[in-house]
Amino acid sequence: MAYIEFKNVCKDYKMGEIIIKALNHTNFSIEKGELVVVVGPSGAGKTTALNILGGMDTVTSGDVIVDGKNIAKLKNKQLIKYRREDIGFVFQFYNLVQNLTAIENVELATQICKDSLSPDEVMEKVGLADRKKNFPSQLSGGEQQRVAIARAIAKNPKLLLCDEPTGALDYKTGKQILKLLQDTARKENMTVIIITHNAAIAPMADKIIRFKNGTAESIESNQNPIPVENIEW
Amino acid sequence: MKIKKALLKDTFKEIKKSYKRFISILLMALLGVGFFAGLRASSPDMVDSIDTYYKNQNVYDIEVMSTLGLTDDDIEALFNIENVESVYGTYSRDGLIQTNDKEIVSKILCVDDVNQPVLVEGNMPENIDECVVEKSFLEGTGKKIGDTIDIEPEKTNETTTNEISTSETSEGENETSVAEGEETEYLKHKTLKIVGVVDSPLYISRERGSTKLGTGVINYYIYVNRENVNSEVYTEVYITLENGDKYQTESRKYEDYVEETKNKIEEIKEERENARYQELIDEANAEITKAEEEFNTEKQNGENELQDAENKINKGKAQIESGEAEINRNERKANQQFENAEAQIESAKTEVAKNALRLNNEKIEAEKGFEEAENQKANLQSTLDNIHNAIKITDNSIAEKQAKLETAETEEEIATINQEIAKLQATRQVYETNKQSVEAGMTEIDNQIASGRQELQNAEAQIDSARKQIQSQEASFQQTKNKTYTQIANARKELEASKQEIADAEAELETAREEFNTKIQEAEGKLIDAREKVSEIEKAEWYILDRQQNAGYSSYIQDTESIENLSMVFPIVFFAIAALVSLTSMTRMVEEERQEIGTLKALGYNKFHIMFKYLIYSSLACIIGGVIGMNIGFQLLPRIIWDMYEMMYTLPEFIISFNHQYSSMGLGLIYICIVGATLYTILKEVKETPATLLRPKAPKYGKRVLLERVGFIWKRLKFSHKVTVRNIFRYKKRFLMTIIGIMGCTSLILAGFGLKDSISSILPNQYEDIFHYDMLVSLKTALTEEQRNSYIENLKQKEDIQEVVETYMESGTVKKGENSENVQIVIPSDNQEIDKVITLRDVKTEEAFTLSEEGIIITDKLAELIHTNVGDTITVTTADDIEKEIKVVGITENYISHYVYMSKTLYQQVFGETYHTNVLLVQDNQLNEEQEQAVMQEMVAQNEVQTVTLTTNTMKTLDDTMSSLNYVVVILIVSAGLLAFVVLYNLSNINIGERIRELATIKVLGFYDREVYDYVTRETILLTIIGIALGVVAGYFLNFYILGTCEINILRFEKVIQPISYLYATAITLVFSMIVNIVTYFALKKIDMIGSLKSVE
Repeated sequence: MAYIEFKNVCKDYKMGEIIIKALNHTNFSIEKGELVVVVGPSGAGKTTALNILGGMDTVTSGDVIVDGKNIAKLKNKQLIKYRREDIGFVFQFYNLVQNLTAIENVELATQICKDSLSPDEVMEKVGLADRKKNFPSQLSGGEQQRVAIARAIAKNPKLLLCDEPTGALDYKTGKQILKLLQDTARKENMTVIIITHNAAIAPMADKIIRFKNGTAESIESNQNPIPVENIEW
Repeated sequence: MKIKKALLKDTFKEIKKSYKRFISILLMALLGVGFFAGLRASSPDMVDSIDTYYKNQNVYDIEVMSTLGLTDDDIEALFNIENVESVYGTYSRDGLIQTNDKEIVSKILCVDDVNQPVLVEGNMPENIDECVVEKSFLEGTGKKIGDTIDIEPEKTNETTTNEISTSETSEGENETSVAEGEETEYLKHKTLKIVGVVDSPLYISRERGSTKLGTGVINYYIYVNRENVNSEVYTEVYITLENGDKYQTESRKYEDYVEETKNKIEEIKEERENARYQELIDEANAEITKAEEEFNTEKQNGENELQDAENKINKGKAQIESGEAEINRNERKANQQFENAEAQIESAKTEVAKNALRLNNEKIEAEKGFEEAENQKANLQSTLDNIHNAIKITDNSIAEKQAKLETAETEEEIATINQEIAKLQATRQVYETNKQSVEAGMTEIDNQIASGRQELQNAEAQIDSARKQIQSQEASFQQTKNKTYTQIANARKELEASKQEIADAEAELETAREEFNTKIQEAEGKLIDAREKVSEIEKAEWYILDRQQNAGYSSYIQDTESIENLSMVFPIVFFAIAALVSLTSMTRMVEEERQEIGTLKALGYNKFHIMFKYLIYSSLACIIGGVIGMNIGFQLLPRIIWDMYEMMYTLPEFIISFNHQYSSMGLGLIYICIVGATLYTILKEVKETPATLLRPKAPKYGKRVLLERVGFIWKRLKFSHKVTVRNIFRYKKRFLMTIIGIMGCTSLILAGFGLKDSISSILPNQYEDIFHYDMLVSLKTALTEEQRNSYIENLKQKEDIQEVVETYMESGTVKKGENSENVQIVIPSDNQEIDKVITLRDVKTEEAFTLSEEGIIITDKLAELIHTNVGDTITVTTADDIEKEIKVVGITENYISHYVYMSKTLYQQVFGETYHTNVLLVQDNQLNEEQEQAVMQEMVAQNEVQTVTLTTNTMKTLDDTMSSLNYVVVILIVSAGLLAFVVLYNLSNINIGERIRELATIKVLGFYDREVYDYVTRETILLTIIGIALGVVAGYFLNFYILGTCEINILRFEKVIQPISYLYATAITLVFSMIVNIVTYFALKKIDMIGSLKSVE
């Protein structure tokens, strides 16, 4: 059995009279340690799927198995626990707490986890050892996203979920971030899922899932992932 | 116009979108205006209600009472005064009603056109044997409509007016004592049927006044038919003024109008007083004269009668005397006669006896004679013999001689012998003759004896017959004598009886005379007394009163003033908070819509057009909220306040009116606050260039706070605490608002409790710490020095009494500069003694004062009101209008009323009046209430005592009054709570709104709900704690301020807040913030992570 399994997942949103089917019988699976890139047009259900996987949203029907646990059946509190212990999230807009320094933003995450990594080490890993006392406003976008990633991986999660992590970044910086994510997946053997609308970066992944109209249209395994620095777009 | 249309549409859409914010601003406006308008309107509504009530019931504007009652002439005189519309003379008196086991005292009023009672149930008393009562009367006595009661009106003279008079009652009594038995019953019918229940406009509070009857407290009022009253003079005269209903009661115009008319009445006052006084004096004098005449005739009659009786007695006595004399005379005469007769008899007897004796003697004599004769015979015999012998002898001798002759020698001898012989011869011759005579004698003797014997026999016979005659005479005399003496004895006896009679009559006369004398003396004494008392009749004194002197009315008005003062303070806090809350809300809104503003600006809209939306938005919120608020406020707040006061006052109807002044004022103020705040924020924003605006506003930078630099503290802080500290300093506006909101809440609650503490400390302060006496006994003024002293001595001896301190008290005024206050002047008879019942001490140092001649000691509130310090000189005016300047040497602690303490010496020096005790301050031997009541009743019954006031009773009354201020506390606490809630809720909403991304982020990070809650509320709690701390300080001062505004002139609030009140204030604030926190908890739980994180700012 795969490490992560989406089985027949449906997610309906009610917008007034209309019911929008954000996910319609979605099925896919991911192995442990895989770097997965999810691509697809806007409104295809990528983010919804990621949110469900990250325990931020619930399913209407279907099962989501993560490491043998069906998170679709979890209650609110269990979902929080799941988020807390198993998930690291990276957003497009970093979502750092402005009032906390870089290291403090990391600490914000580590202080609630059991086997968290040392915030200083993580900061070093993301290459921000010398900026850790800076406030987010004092950091560039890339640096902020690094802090966000540091915050996510410091929790030592089973899954690192990234929703358009480079969306707000320039090409170069974006590349650096993607590299960081790829390295993390490789070095830490962490399962990383990256959502992007930029299909060009797909070759860096172990698995590429293409979304369309609320379903995973194709799941493609890449036997030879290309290092990010070699990808041009 | 088109532009505006689009903008308007946008505005309404904005409202729809951000309805929460709109409502929160609207709510602030609602609360602000509602509280302002509602609170401000409460007092006018209350005044309005009583005004309407009084107008409907035709309640008096001016009341005139006189110590000697009022007459139709007085009414006439009053009626002629300008502005006077109607003058109503009416009667009232206290009466005792016995019900079941209780004795209650009731004020007997009569139904009149003035001060009409409101009929609540049943009918008005149409017949003279009917009455109506107040509702609580039925509740208190268990009577029902249709039941009858027996009422015994107080026995006083008609002139007595219960409210004022205390001293003149005695005079009234004198009058009746002069004309004893002439007092008429006050009520024609004393058994009255209850036919209805009424409310009296004269007694809107529970206070019914005091009386000389029963326990001294009037329990209820009842109304009787006017026809039932029997009184010569009016006890009260009520005046209504022309156009009086044009003005609202208590308004300045009304007061001026009343004052003006009162002054006019003042002008005729003296004349009328004198007239009434003269009338009474004349009446009394006439009566006295009549009584005097009667007395004189009676006296004359009595005296005449006595004289007659005496004359009779005297006559009788004379008769007896003459009778006695006659008897005596008769007796004497009889005695004399009897004596004479007896003497005669006796003499006769004696004669007889003498005769008998003489006879006997004669007999014996005769016998003797006989014997003698015999003897003589014998003698004669012997003589004869002798003669014979002698003859013989002579013969012998002759013979001898012859013989001798023979012998004779001498011639001479012979001659001699011859002679001798011759002689002898002669002798012999003689002898011979003798012999013959003897012999004759002898025969004669024999004859004589025989005749003597015959004679004796005759005499004896004669004596015998005489004796017999005497004996018969004696017997008849004895008879006559006995008869006569019996007669005399009888006469004597008769006389003796008459004498007894006279003696009795005399004794009777004596008693009659004594009786008469005592009666006369008494009558005379009474006359003198009466005359004296007539001379003592004090001049009539008019009391010209207005509604202010009505206890219920004035306390009602005072309460409205407290409410008004309060309504000045609260809304300010509300407005401040409303302004702050809308400021933050609008700031948040403008910030959120930066881009839109930028877009509009880029599109070429000018400043005004852009501002228009926000101004419309806030104006709409403000006006809608304000209008709703004022409508609710005007209805609700006066009603709530009224509900509280309704427990104390009986008014038929509470009138709520829409007060345009306050509503527009409130709305204006809140408009300035809210729209002003909006304007301030938006102006700041529209100044920016469109480009700046279109870029998202740089999020507030994180900053190091000062505390971080204090390494040893910062390092020790937990991570989450560090976050909290930093956040607090990051959102300064919110930080300020929260603190101010909480501070306001805590301080209001604290002020509320502080007020309660101050209020509730007044009574114990005054009556436990300052005044230590249990009873205040005022003595009648007319007492003499001895009466007074003996009474005081007696009182001191009593077992129940521990301490009696003599004082002289009178009311007066003190003045300094413009300020004057009514005071009670207390002059103890002993400067040291007073310490036992009244503590005179400095408030701060608690240093005790002693009275001296140096100057007076005044109470602290008084000093404050007339701006006086120790060493200043103030003008003291006594009740007799004597004005003197006196130096103040001490300011003493006091809480209720104003007092001036003066030493006896100083009083006498300054006012030049003699001191006399009129009030006794009495401390009892720790009696319980019942015992005190008993002692009081006993005292009141004594002649020397005018009134007795129990400290416990005074405390009870005051307690009732002051409990009304507790409502103020309730209002304070409730509004403070509301305020706290609104502020905290609003802040919490803003907080969440502003930090939604941050919160969503930490939720995504896997913070449990509880942790998220802690993350946010840790700040709130810290701010709350700071707010409470500051609030406690602010409350301390606010309390002073409110105390200042609520304080009644005659009360001094001790500025204390009990520790428990701090606790309450803190706890209540915490509870409110807890409630808000719970709401926050659920709001946090509902945060949509995905939604919040999706959008860019």
